[in-house]
Amino acid sequence: MLHDFRYAAPRTAPELLDLLEGEGAMMLAGGTDLLPNVRNGVFKPRLVVDVKKLPDSDRIAFGAEGLEFGPAVTLNDVLRSKDAREKYPALCACVHELASHQVRNRATVVGNVMNASPCSDTAPALLCLGARAIVRSKTGARELPFDHFFAGPKKTRLEKGEFLEKVIVPASSAGAKGRYLKLKRINGHDLGIVGVLMLEKDGALSFAVSSAAPTPVLVTGLRKGVAPDEAAAKVLAACSPITDVRATKEYREFMIGVYVRRLLSEGV
Amino acid sequence: MLSDKRPSELELVGKSPERSDDVEKLTGSATYVSDMSLPGMLHAQLKKSPHARARIVRIDTAKARAMPGVRAIVTGDELDYRLGLYVVDKRILARGEVRHYGEAVAAVAADTLMQAKAAADAIEVEYEVLKPILHHMDALKPDAPLVHPELGSYAYMAAAFTPQPGTNVANLTKLRKGDTELGFAASEWIVEREYSCPSVQHVPMETHVAIAKWERGDRVTVWTSAQSPFTVRNLMCIAFKLPHNNVRVHIPYVGGGFGGKAGIGVEPLVAVLSRAAGGKPVKFQATREEEFSLLPCRSALTYRLKTGVSTEGKILAQEMTLYWDSGAYADYAVNVTRASGYSASGPYEIPNAKVDSYTIYTNKPYGTAYRGFGHVEFHWALERHMELVAQAIGMDPVEFRRKNALRPGSKTLTGEVITEHTGNVLKCIDKAAEAIGYGRITPAEAEREKKTGWKIGKGVAALQKAPAMPSYTATAVFLKMNEDGTVTVNLALTDYGQGTYTSIRQIVAERLGFPLDKVKVSFECDTDKDPYDWQTVASKGLLMSGNAAILAAEDLLKNAYDTAARALRAQECDLAHDGEKVYLKHHPSKAVRFSAMAVGLALENGNGIGGPIVGVGRYIAQGLTFLDKETGEGNPALDWTYGAHGMTVEVNPDTGEYRVLKIASVYDVGKAINPEIVRGQAIGGMMQGLGTATCEGYIYDKDGRLLNPSFTDNKIPTAKDLPLEIETYVVETPQVDGPYGARGMAEHSMISVAAALGNAIQKASGAEIMHMPIRFEDVWRALNARESIDNWITKSPTGHCRSAPVQKN
Amino acid sequence: MRILVKVNGDTYEREVAENRTLLRFLREDLGITGPKEGCGMGECGACTVFLNGRAVNSCMVLAVEADGATVDTVEGESKGPELSEIQKAFERNHAVQCGFCTPGMVMSVKELLRDNAKPSVDEIKEAVEGNFCRCTGYAQIVEAVLDLTGRASEKGGIGHVE
Repeated sequence: MLHDFRYAAPRTAPELLDLLEGEGAMMLAGGTDLLPNVRNGVFKPRLVVDVKKLPDSDRIAFGAEGLEFGPAVTLNDVLRSKDAREKYPALCACVHELASHQVRNRATVVGNVMNASPCSDTAPALLCLGARAIVRSKTGARELPFDHFFAGPKKTRLEKGEFLEKVIVPASSAGAKGRYLKLKRINGHDLGIVGVLMLEKDGALSFAVSSAAPTPVLVTGLRKGVAPDEAAAKVLAACSPITDVRATKEYREFMIGVYVRRLLSEGV
Repeated sequence: MLSDKRPSELELVGKSPERSDDVEKLTGSATYVSDMSLPGMLHAQLKKSPHARARIVRIDTAKARAMPGVRAIVTGDELDYRLGLYVVDKRILARGEVRHYGEAVAAVAADTLMQAKAAADAIEVEYEVLKPILHHMDALKPDAPLVHPELGSYAYMAAAFTPQPGTNVANLTKLRKGDTELGFAASEWIVEREYSCPSVQHVPMETHVAIAKWERGDRVTVWTSAQSPFTVRNLMCIAFKLPHNNVRVHIPYVGGGFGGKAGIGVEPLVAVLSRAAGGKPVKFQATREEEFSLLPCRSALTYRLKTGVSTEGKILAQEMTLYWDSGAYADYAVNVTRASGYSASGPYEIPNAKVDSYTIYTNKPYGTAYRGFGHVEFHWALERHMELVAQAIGMDPVEFRRKNALRPGSKTLTGEVITEHTGNVLKCIDKAAEAIGYGRITPAEAEREKKTGWKIGKGVAALQKAPAMPSYTATAVFLKMNEDGTVTVNLALTDYGQGTYTSIRQIVAERLGFPLDKVKVSFECDTDKDPYDWQTVASKGLLMSGNAAILAAEDLLKNAYDTAARALRAQECDLAHDGEKVYLKHHPSKAVRFSAMAVGLALENGNGIGGPIVGVGRYIAQGLTFLDKETGEGNPALDWTYGAHGMTVEVNPDTGEYRVLKIASVYDVGKAINPEIVRGQAIGGMMQGLGTATCEGYIYDKDGRLLNPSFTDNKIPTAKDLPLEIETYVVETPQVDGPYGARGMAEHSMISVAAALGNAIQKASGAEIMHMPIRFEDVWRALNARESIDNWITKSPTGHCRSAPVQKN
Repeated sequence: MRILVKVNGDTYEREVAENRTLLRFLREDLGITGPKEGCGMGECGACTVFLNGRAVNSCMVLAVEADGATVDTVEGESKGPELSEIQKAFERNHAVQCGFCTPGMVMSVKELLRDNAKPSVDEIKEAVEGNFCRCTGYAQIVEAVLDLTGRASEKGGIGHVE
């Protein structure tokens, strides 16, 4: 049972931008965050703006700039994309860790980052891969790199009247190998206690950590062969986990260090 | 043993025919109460307390009453009823005071769910918030506020329970056997430790749901997702002072219960709403969140064990003190307390024993029956304790268990003498140990350890349980022969997934000598049409209803033979039958078909004889007694089902992460009527046990608000959580009075899974875990000698020793 | 809002509130009650149906989103009196207990087998990971799929201790 709202499915970007200006307008892509939040009374939208009828919103393609995909591209669309699988295995590894198969059939990468949860599983990949968001408003489009995208728990740096039109994962990151370790309470689908992605590209290492700070954490500037303890210390310095129902702060900190060292010793 | 055949002659019993409810369930046509809608039906929503304990100062429903579609609103002030299975302490809606987070204080019935929700939101409640009593050990302190100051005025079942007015103790069950002081004095070793586990949820996939219609003349009809139609009817009639034939309870398909739907739930609430709405049917279905906090859970337990052991490793004395967290109401928790009291030592002989088992009120959602009825919780403690005692005295834990296990001639805590028919726990322990290669690491396992750096450990835990039920529990089964000679079975034992109907069908067909497809067990239970059954609980259904079904089949055959004898002008002793007909043994061609007799036989001249062929079987538990209130002496057990699990785990000794590599479970089921159903119960219960062992449990904040009332933070196992290898075995020591030798086993599979896991983890890593669930962090904390905490929010300490755990006399 | 949706091959044109979920639309407006609500939050999978050929949690889909779409539920799984092969395999392998998760479970298995004729045990577990079952403990469900893909020999059984 959901709170009462209106629904619109605009077919052009200007139409969508008009609707977004309305009081209480919220975007709907896969609905897997929006609708449970509406059900739980967390969100009370007056208008739900479905992005899926927008031309090319479900397009995923690899081009000169890299892998580009629209706001209606689902997690399983990413996993089914040959380009994504072959050129961005780290993205696929992270996407695959998110929720269950049915949810991945609906949930989108864009919706996941727009939700801006500290435990987002797609954010680590987008951060490490240097991806950027193309954000459109009535005044035009701007680029927002993901390392400047998250403002806090459940908060992005998008302004009112903007929407995330496209994600570009740069061509320069193609071929980078990565591995994502996610600590969960069960083997089945679960929100992470912590998650650590290590990405390796031409000897450079980067780490991204989920569920470890108010926003997903990115640590760059490490080289292959770095001492594991040094790497762990550097990653931990960027994290500030909390105690909640899933784990204590101290165990989260400990496991982040373990995962960094494990990734370094086992490799990608 | 109720059987007319040698085991080798059985044709249907012992086979695994498909379940009789498959087609409906697989095609989506099985109708659950969730799926039902009646003409003119209203929808109910509740106003619930956001506080764990508060005085209700004022409830204002005026605004809500004026809202569109609202047909009825009720509050606790209008409902002068108390309900309770054993201690009558619960109101339909809170009155005067709320006693737990999520408790209902007002209810609305409206034309649509949305309207009901809007109206419930519009009800204004003013509370005076009081300091809640959240931990059951705190509730025992002399200055603790009382959850039920009026406890002394409540009605209760005096033959079984002993409330302590003026305290928070809803029941104290005591048991004394031998002389523990002498036993401890003679002991070489004394080991004393304390273990604990939190409240957990049953998580039936279908939440509680009921529809009720309270019509003119106080005729009440209920459709409910429940386990026990006659208990729902009985308690409603007592509460509302209605004649039993005024109330009719229907139970169609039920989406799981596990004990959570054993008693009475939301039925009285929808009934009073229907009455207030002038007789229109009213439906209420709990949301998943309401399932966690409005409806009952499994009680938390703190279990303190003190064990005296001889030089040879024989237990000489044991003191067992169980502190059960009942939550706000006594419900089944008092009976869990009682059952766990007389069973607290598990499948071991304790010559000198003292048990004190307390049910303690707190300001939390209340505890009820849950698969295992207390045995999952106390076996967690007991079977960890047996491991730690063995370790303390330097004996192998399996050898220690074998040495102390019940065997023919042993006396249970209540003085019952075990015979060779009771079941064989030694065989269960031995097989579980053998199946996992207990006590050694194979070369392949050693290789795996080397590769992963994780340590492999193996543990065994044993278990026992008898049905917890009144000593005079009874049931009945009706058989009706249809015009074509097929048979329909009616009973009020419900099949909410456990498969009993399929087994009953096999039993009836076996005893009748009919092919399986001639027998149908009718699925919807209806108190107006089905014969009485006490409750579908306690793993007593197969034994008791199975026996009643055999007796009903014999009665049906007797009626058919009587008609046939007259038709064939023969004596009954000269007759035999097959699936089609009754015939003269000596002249098989002289026969009369069942179809000809089914609804009365017409002779050649048109005279009618016989009449419709039916069979009635009644069964009542035999030889059980009340227990002495001071010593616990008596005979509480319909049967004892024994079992054991062997578990292999690998543990990361640095991080506490672990994986279950293998579990082997063994049960002495007497006779596996349908081995695949037995296996389904074995694995299903084991996984449920693994869920509560690894990740499930209620987490409250310091004000008593439940922080994890949904699947977001209260995970249950998924398919990915299956152990890599699962083996299931049965021992078949026939139950003397069981149908074809069978006894129940559906709860048992959940018992001792957690302890086997704890034992294996300790073997692998040395982590000494005293509290479940065993989360990775718990293992890590134990390995690093960090304080064990059950709740990371309120940081309540738990499961530690109160004294030096091992003492040598 | 007025929507046109094809469910199990039948076309329905209905006026539907914009905040109505697909699950409630199917169950309450069309009387298609195979899909169940177990949590309303997309965690348990009891509401799993196909939306344009993909398994989704219908409790997290708006009915209006299904305008012009094809929806398949367990009710459309078997045509005629015979059970489908998936349903028969569930039946043979005792993969059903209370049955409340079954309609969603069958749909998840259906999508798996459409994309992957010989899934491994891990792939089977992953395909039904989003379908909670509190009764069976999943083993007999996994075995039903193994049986269906010609690997009945990998099934477990019950051992009798002499």
